Amino acid sequence: MAQQEKKKSRIFDYFSEKEEQYAGGLAWCAGCTLELTARFVPKVLGKDIVLVGCPSCSAPVFYGQNTGSWHRLSYFSCLMTGVASSATGISRYFRRIGKDVTIVCFTGDGCAADVGFQPLSGAAERNEHIIYICYDNEGYMNTGYQRSSTTPLGASTSTTPAGITSKGKPTPAKNMPLIMALHGAAYVATATPSHLEDFAKKLLIAKKKKDEGFVYIHVFAPCNMGWRIESNASIQVCRMAVRTNYFPLWEFENGKFRLTQETASPRPVQELTKLMRKFAHLKEADIDKLQQVVNERYAFIKALCAIGN
Amino acid sequence: MIPEGELPMKAQKGQVKVITGNGAAAYAAMLCRPDVVTSYPITPMSEVAEQLSAFHADGILDAEMVEVEGENSAMNVVAAASITGGRAFTATSSWGLAFMYDAVQQASGFRAPVVMAIANRETPGILAVSGGQQDIISTRDTGWIQIIVEDCQEIFDTIIMAFRLAEDYNIQLPVMVNYDGFYLSYLAQAVEIAAREDVDRFLAPLKQQPQRPTLVPGEPLGCGTHGIEIGFVELRYKHCMAMERVTTKLDEIDKEFGEFFGRSYGGQIEEYRTGDAEIMVIASGGAAGTARTVVDAKRNEGIKVGLIKLRLFRPFPRKRLIEALRGKKAIGVIDRSVCFGWNCGPTYMELRALSPEFGVVPMLSYIDGMANLDITVPHIERVIDETYAAACGKPYQEVTWIPLEE
Repeated sequence: MAQQEKKKSRIFDYFSEKEEQYAGGLAWCAGCTLELTARFVPKVLGKDIVLVGCPSCSAPVFYGQNTGSWHRLSYFSCLMTGVASSATGISRYFRRIGKDVTIVCFTGDGCAADVGFQPLSGAAERNEHIIYICYDNEGYMNTGYQRSSTTPLGASTSTTPAGITSKGKPTPAKNMPLIMALHGAAYVATATPSHLEDFAKKLLIAKKKKDEGFVYIHVFAPCNMGWRIESNASIQVCRMAVRTNYFPLWEFENGKFRLTQETASPRPVQELTKLMRKFAHLKEADIDKLQQVVNERYAFIKALCAIGN
Repeated sequence: MIPEGELPMKAQKGQVKVITGNGAAAYAAMLCRPDVVTSYPITPMSEVAEQLSAFHADGILDAEMVEVEGENSAMNVVAAASITGGRAFTATSSWGLAFMYDAVQQASGFRAPVVMAIANRETPGILAVSGGQQDIISTRDTGWIQIIVEDCQEIFDTIIMAFRLAEDYNIQLPVMVNYDGFYLSYLAQAVEIAAREDVDRFLAPLKQQPQRPTLVPGEPLGCGTHGIEIGFVELRYKHCMAMERVTTKLDEIDKEFGEFFGRSYGGQIEEYRTGDAEIMVIASGGAAGTARTVVDAKRNEGIKVGLIKLRLFRPFPRKRLIEALRGKKAIGVIDRSVCFGWNCGPTYMELRALSPEFGVVPMLSYIDGMANLDITVPHIERVIDETYAAACGKPYQEVTWIPLEE
């Protein structure tokens, strides 16, 4: 018995909700990191949350059908344009009646960075008491792998396909977590399912920080289908994104940036890109350009971390 | 219904203030004690937002004020707050309404009993900082209740009635209270401001209803499911049936309001000198006031004309219109907007659909008052004269764009 407990990963210590909130047998695509995120968040934050979401990969599960539901969480579904604003309405009413409720927006990057960006920016500026979790699968994966503004440079998507003259998306990804931090949010963090303890710690800080105001968590969430990754390689991709500094793990709290995971000797970005086929068309020179973006962004976040420390 | 013994027979006399239409909207909304209010400025309703913010700043309005970054958010915030259990109010105009179009449909689909004041204004394309009703016409099929009012007092009274209607357990639908932008929004009139406790009393029956479904954290209760096949159809049907219940409910609320506050407006429609009328004029909003004067003058000339002020546009008051129009010899309809693809006014188009039931008689569509142009006494005289001539069997033009023919 004692031996069994010793074997337990420390991650369970962060769980406030042990019970599964989803119907048995339920699954997203094989290997989906959004699924891992969706299952992980209520385990850490507890089940007394109100989730707010919109049409996306998470919608088929969260919405339910007619009177049927595949989960036991309180959920408010709205349009992609209305997530942060609907969450504002919910949060404001609960605050008015003196009820402390954790409101969690749970959307993809298409909503957060594109069509739902204006209300997200507005809610952050008003410092609404909301936790906004964006699972970034770098495109509109539910509608068939179209590009979004967080699709990286050179990625082949169904609307930026690699072709005889095209090398995939011609511009780098919008740096969403940084943009949200510069709104002066109460707390901003990046996270990914390969680093669950880091993720859990950040969620627990988020739950406290939402009392001060707006919280934004940007989750790197590879899409096996859209990125063309083997279904057993999702976590490897997440880990490699951190090790290549493609997706550095950091947090922004009390006006200060801090790296939560330092990479001693970062791997070249090619070690990440070779794990998926959305970059398969890129030549060495193209990879170099992506490497340059990664380097510049990492240097920038490092510089921000140096301020005031 | 208000339980006996709880209400005095009559409300006390309210304080009379000279305020604008926008001010009247803000006063009424404040007295209804909304939990969440959103505002985003747009001409000509900005004053509603300013006035509510001022009430909030002075502690007169105890509510969550959300100064959103656009109208789309204004609607999403109030709809979600309403689904969470709160009373919610917002106001907009023209392309503000257009910008919240997706959220407007969502609010009614969610059956969120929100009340929204709209200072009607022309819609984009031909940029017009001027009044017209095209904005509400473009949202007539969004599943909202739409009421059009005539003066500042009616704005005030109707917003209070709108909460009774929206939050009624058998209705649970959002309401748009429409008034002429520029004309009414900026027009200052004497408005009797009901006492706070009287508004409380009038809205009290809402508290005695069963609790409507709301979001509960930790409960497997959501809002906004995927309506699949028959499940979708069932919800649409229920929404439509709720709309059907609005007609008589509005009449009831209007009557009750009249008994308590001493002012009533006829509910779905106001009929003016219609009983013995041979021909009818139909108008809505501020134009109805002018039309009343002209009807009196034409009566003195011996023309038996009556007026219908259309108050409820959605749901369309079919039954009462059929009753009021049955047996009349000709009908002139004044619209401040157009029906694209039909080349006529929208009210005219809708009335044509009822004509088999009230009698196939000459019907004349008049498009007037667009882009702040006045619907003048001579214009309405013309409408009555031509409608009368048509009733006498003379040839007539079906659609007349009055400003282009002057």
